[in-house]
Amino acid sequence: MLLLYHFLVHLYPATYRGEYGEEMLAVLSEVLTENQKKGVMARIVSAVCEIAGLLCGALREHIRNIAGSIRVEKSFSRRVTMRSDFRFPKTTVTLMALVLLAVFLAIEKGKDIQASIAYANPQVGPIHPTQQLALLPTLLLVLAFACLMGAFGWAMLFALRRTGSQRLSNVDVSSRPGCGTSLSI
Amino acid sequence: MDSAPISEPILLILLSLADQPRHGYAILRDTETMTEGRLRLSTGTLYGALHRLLADGWIERFHQEDGSRGKQVYRLTPLGRRNLQQEITRLKLITRLASLRIASKET
Repeated sequence: MLLLYHFLVHLYPATYRGEYGEEMLAVLSEVLTENQKKGVMARIVSAVCEIAGLLCGALREHIRNIAGSIRVEKSFSRRVTMRSDFRFPKTTVTLMALVLLAVFLAIEKGKDIQASIAYANPQVGPIHPTQQLALLPTLLLVLAFACLMGAFGWAMLFALRRTGSQRLSNVDVSSRPGCGTSLSI
Repeated sequence: MDSAPISEPILLILLSLADQPRHGYAILRDTETMTEGRLRLSTGTLYGALHRLLADGWIERFHQEDGSRGKQVYRLTPLGRRNLQQEITRLKLITRLASLRIASKET
């Protein structure tokens, strides 16, 4: 059980884990020891509560990290500033430009297709039961695609955050020639 | 967290630290005792709350040697104590108001 808790604590952001991880595991260990005196049902309830608490806590801290990384300054200029521990890699600009280009190309291609088959669309009639059945796999496919896109978006955000913060945390200011103590990130 | 009402878990954590500093597990046990077993905080919830309270300067953490190993212990700061007192005053006001309203309805 402690192994599972250990894994769940690893779901927390690295900074949070570094600060509280060991302490949380010590508390969880004490809770487990105390639960050994209780019945099976009480142990199950306690384990479920702890697992749910750890999962929710990890999710909350990740959301707080992402939300807290981008801070909108309430000034006249309405500038968007970012905290020093969060930076997008330079490749993000290239990737975003490529995505934008792909979207424009897709729109243009769509217009070409529409122009080539104008007035050729068959008339839509009443939906028969067989057609209704055929809708189900399509809906499932759309749902799976949406889930996939969501997971991809999350992975991109996660990767961007990790690469940005890790790269900055790995910067060794003192070993760089010409870099004095005045370097600020 | 300056003006918004305090949630029950946060209030109980602050009350637990009001009389003496405590470590994480002791806070869990104390909140359970205070609510007579009604509220059992999970470790994730407890540390989420402690993290927030530390960030807001309501509590502070220090290291205390406890037998064979050291433990991180939490205590209220003057700001935390002041905010706790304000919250208790607010709750007293609500309780008094509720008692008056209920009494006037019964008579």
